[in-house]
Amino acid sequence: MTAVVLRRLRDLVVVLFVVGTVLFFLLRSIPGDPAQVLLGTKATPEQLDRLRRELGLTGPLHEQYLHWLGNVLTGDFGTSIKYQLPVPQMIADHVVPTLTLAVLGTAISFLLTVLIVSWAAVSPHNPAARFVGRAAQFGLALPEFWLALIAVYVFALTLGWFPTSGYTPLFEDPATAVAQLALPLAVLVVGQTAFLTITMEESVLGELSQLYLRTARAKGVGERRIVLRHVLPNSMLPVLTTAGLNFASLIGGVVVIESIFVIPGLGTMLLGAVYARDFPLIQGGVMFIAILFVVVNLLVDLAYAVIDPKVRVS
Amino acid sequence: MTDGVLVDRPARAGRYRSFARRNTALVVACGLLVAITLVVAVLPLVLPDPNAPDPARRLLPPSAEHPMGTDKYGRDLFARWASAGRVSIGMTLLITLCAAGLGTFIGLVAGYFARAGRVIMRVVDAWMAFPSIILAIVFAVVMGPGMLSELLAVTIIFTPYTARVIRSRVLGLTTRTYVKAARVSGMGPWKTLAVHVLPNTLPLAVVQCVLLSAGAMLIDGSLSFLGLGISPPTATWGNMVADGRTYLQDHPTMVLFPGLTIALFVFLLNVAGNALRAFVDPRARLLLAQRRRR
Repeated sequence: MTAVVLRRLRDLVVVLFVVGTVLFFLLRSIPGDPAQVLLGTKATPEQLDRLRRELGLTGPLHEQYLHWLGNVLTGDFGTSIKYQLPVPQMIADHVVPTLTLAVLGTAISFLLTVLIVSWAAVSPHNPAARFVGRAAQFGLALPEFWLALIAVYVFALTLGWFPTSGYTPLFEDPATAVAQLALPLAVLVVGQTAFLTITMEESVLGELSQLYLRTARAKGVGERRIVLRHVLPNSMLPVLTTAGLNFASLIGGVVVIESIFVIPGLGTMLLGAVYARDFPLIQGGVMFIAILFVVVNLLVDLAYAVIDPKVRVS
Repeated sequence: MTDGVLVDRPARAGRYRSFARRNTALVVACGLLVAITLVVAVLPLVLPDPNAPDPARRLLPPSAEHPMGTDKYGRDLFARWASAGRVSIGMTLLITLCAAGLGTFIGLVAGYFARAGRVIMRVVDAWMAFPSIILAIVFAVVMGPGMLSELLAVTIIFTPYTARVIRSRVLGLTTRTYVKAARVSGMGPWKTLAVHVLPNTLPLAVVQCVLLSAGAMLIDGSLSFLGLGISPPTATWGNMVADGRTYLQDHPTMVLFPGLTIALFVFLLNVAGNALRAFVDPRARLLLAQRRRR
């Protein structure tokens, strides 16, 4: 177990190094000068020069790179050019809305998936249950940006049940916060549930073809009990993995939903940072997301070991 | 001679019919995909210019003359929908070919050369940890939004997935005796890869292509919507949705039609891809049989 964790931590370092380095050179090739963007067109050459030196944008590229690498290794992730705040603080300020969406979205879609697929598995003769797979395929095909706009049209503009956009911290004003979160969450949950349902349905069908079920049936175990006690628990592993991976990708991937519903999350922050040529902020934000991605993967693997004795032994 | 033809024809037709009966979903999905593609390919030839403004007919609701209405410049949205289809489907195809091609190549090399493979897969893992939309945004800013930056970014996003699938297939193939025999008889590694390994991964690569194109169309839509893909005045289904956003309250059809087309197209691609999977993946075949039995 310790060996697994150590190996994964080594992988984490490699991933961060690669992501950070690639991003560094990619960002430096963006046309446009951050100093110019920051100071506007009226800045004197002296001012520009001073700012560039402050930002570490002078000297040959490899020197800039080593300078940046040294800073990162000593825990200095730099200061946002546009907001003049330390990058870790910027991330902390924007991470809550994104995490709220990601955590709630993943949790709700996980529960929904388990309910839907369990229901379909215990009622194979119900005609609606046969369409769960197809319905999930359709849900997966709906473009997020379009579904969000349609939801806004129907539930906000026409029915007036929810506000069209906005964000309030959950604990500040729960009623407003829930109303504002409802639509973005619903859009997120449709896609996530579709994805998880496909995974879980496949897993359940695979489990149903296992021979031990024949033994159970021969012993006289009822069909319902077979599904609920044997098939469903045994088919949860791929669903957990997929939910974990989806959660990780949501941290960096709710850009579209955040921008449609005007939610000040990490996606909005990064989008703004790219337009403002805010190198340290982009760099820090993307590396933070990469860290989270690898850590969530590690946690999923560890959860595997807890749930599945087979994994624990090997 | 005539005898042969008479006997042969019904037999072959029967074979096709029984194939169609066994694979209804696949045949219907492929038929509709081809139909939509043909429609958007042919329609722009007969419809008015999608970029011709007509100030007298601005923001009209759908009617017989303008089946999807007109936009703020009075451009016919049906003509724009059709020409956008050409661009969106074309972009999807282009992205898919590039990503599947590159992914297959990386997968082959990483699967066949064990030591290099481990290093390559580590890089591929790091690659996958990159938030994909952000990557596309960075590219759009580095190169300016447009076809090339989108193609590059989305290819980079999708390549690792194909690479992983192909690699796991190649790992299974390299232990086969015919591959070993080829190596022992003096065939070089690259030639073995090309002659013996590649053909055996092709069916899997084709299925990957279909499934990948569904994802490619969705992300192409998202990027166009955010203004990071092919930019106006060239219409795409994604930027048509973005254009309609301003008029959502009074003209919801401007958003509805292009988005619905993307949804339908992606759905059909997913259906076709999953049906095709049963031909190359024994596990998928088992699942299909299991589903039928229930």
